Amino acid sequence: MKLLGFGSEAAIYENNSFIIKRRIKKDYRIKEIDEKLRKNRSRAEFNIMRFLYESGLNVPKPIKYVESKKEIYMEKIDGKRLAESFSLEDSKSIGKMIADMHNLGVIHGDLTTANMIKKEGKVYLIDFGLSYYSLKDEDIASDIFLFKNALKSKHNEVYREAYAMCLDAYKSQIRKEFKGIDTHLKDIEERRRYNESY
Amino acid sequence: MHTEQNKIFQRNIKPDKGSRDSLIYTLGIESTAHTFGVGISENDKIIANERDTLKPTSGGIIPREAAMHHFKLAPEIIKRALDKSGLKLKDIDLFAFSQGPGIIPALKVGAQVSTFLSNKYKKKLIGVNHCIAHLEIARLYTKLKDPVMLYVSGGNTQIITYYNGTYIVFGETQDIGIGNLIDKIGRRMDIPFPAGPKIEELAKKSKNYIQMPYSIKGMDVSFSGIETFVSKLIGHQSVEDISFSLQETVFSMLIEASERAMSYCLKDSLIITGGVAANKRINEMGAKMCKARNAEFKQIPMEFAGDNGAMIAYTGYLMKEYKQEDLRIKPKFRTDTVEIKYR
Repeated sequence: MKLLGFGSEAAIYENNSFIIKRRIKKDYRIKEIDEKLRKNRSRAEFNIMRFLYESGLNVPKPIKYVESKKEIYMEKIDGKRLAESFSLEDSKSIGKMIADMHNLGVIHGDLTTANMIKKEGKVYLIDFGLSYYSLKDEDIASDIFLFKNALKSKHNEVYREAYAMCLDAYKSQIRKEFKGIDTHLKDIEERRRYNESY
Repeated sequence: MHTEQNKIFQRNIKPDKGSRDSLIYTLGIESTAHTFGVGISENDKIIANERDTLKPTSGGIIPREAAMHHFKLAPEIIKRALDKSGLKLKDIDLFAFSQGPGIIPALKVGAQVSTFLSNKYKKKLIGVNHCIAHLEIARLYTKLKDPVMLYVSGGNTQIITYYNGTYIVFGETQDIGIGNLIDKIGRRMDIPFPAGPKIEELAKKSKNYIQMPYSIKGMDVSFSGIETFVSKLIGHQSVEDISFSLQETVFSMLIEASERAMSYCLKDSLIITGGVAANKRINEMGAKMCKARNAEFKQIPMEFAGDNGAMIAYTGYLMKEYKQEDLRIKPKFRTDTVEIKYR
């Protein structure tokens, strides 16, 4: 088993063309919090990945889940992380993909370009550690809002254009009425502290 | 006491004309909330840091009372800072004040006093963002070049990091500040304001964890669910268990969000600042998290972690070349709207 790297909450290993994601113990948290979080997140992540994969979304194929070790086995996507290779043209397919996922009732919960991999022109979504099921406009809006912020903090130079392109593609793909989502999007921005009303 | 102080700052008492020219003395005024602080810097060195904090006898801070407190004490605290530095008002080259974010009546006092002084002595006035000032003074005292900063106080809960010419708020509370949450729960348990120290003490007496909502949304955190949840526990569970579980839950959330920011932005150091940084447990958690990922963790002297005037003076000094047109107070001043030209 080869260690590929550490995310903020998991160690990623590679073993014959599999990727193994193991949620590591965090010793800054007490055991009561840490155990439960790692177990719940791993289990939910595996189930959501399976559901999305079976529904045809671009996600790695989940293989198995080992609860005692908090390990998820999945197929390897041999591509490049979008955080390092993001370009404006990717915005459209990202917007479409997020809409497809929301159409299936899944909220990703951690939409950043570090959680996207590009392989042969296709963008794959990974890391469903904070994902959950919801069809509520508010939850959908918070997912989009997170991605907007991630673009802003990591790809500041192209963020406005990228976000606009992404949102256009999203609107054309989402089956729900976008108006309701948009209301919540504006609401979240205002709810954050210290928003200047220009 | 007084002569001793004069000895320490002797070189400033009668500034030598030659060396005086190359030095810039900045006087900074902090008045965003319940603390009125005045700091003086000699170039990038802090030479005075005086303050007074309003302590309400019951309840929380009433904006009008905070403003009255600042207004009454302003002359005395300015004088104390001047005495400590051995300077006179006419020696000050630059005035700086906390432009926001903060409580309107409190902010107005700092703005008015500093505007008056800058007009009277015909010296430049700089408006400083309070949150950025916290980060700059923390960098000065920890010598960390490019840390992620977890800024936790009564009203503020932000994870800030430098990126591409601005300080970006990577994560923040979606509703109330952490200190605010602790104070609110404290008040319901009959603990006077500020409740932090007492809650910390009570927490030490328990090891019994009560399951609480752990609400982290990507990089953001949310406390209002916990507030409701914990309020319902009061009277049914011991205050020790509540305090312990509350601290463990909210600090774990904040440290997890900080770790995410470090991991995502590839930063290898963390500092915790703001009033809540006085809590030992949150520092211990931050240190453990950093150790596990081979990152550096440094604590800031508490004198410069809570609200203080020195950080305003120092940041004002850093911003000395700025040309600012709008020097009105900005109660909702966002950290990421300031262009950072001095880094």
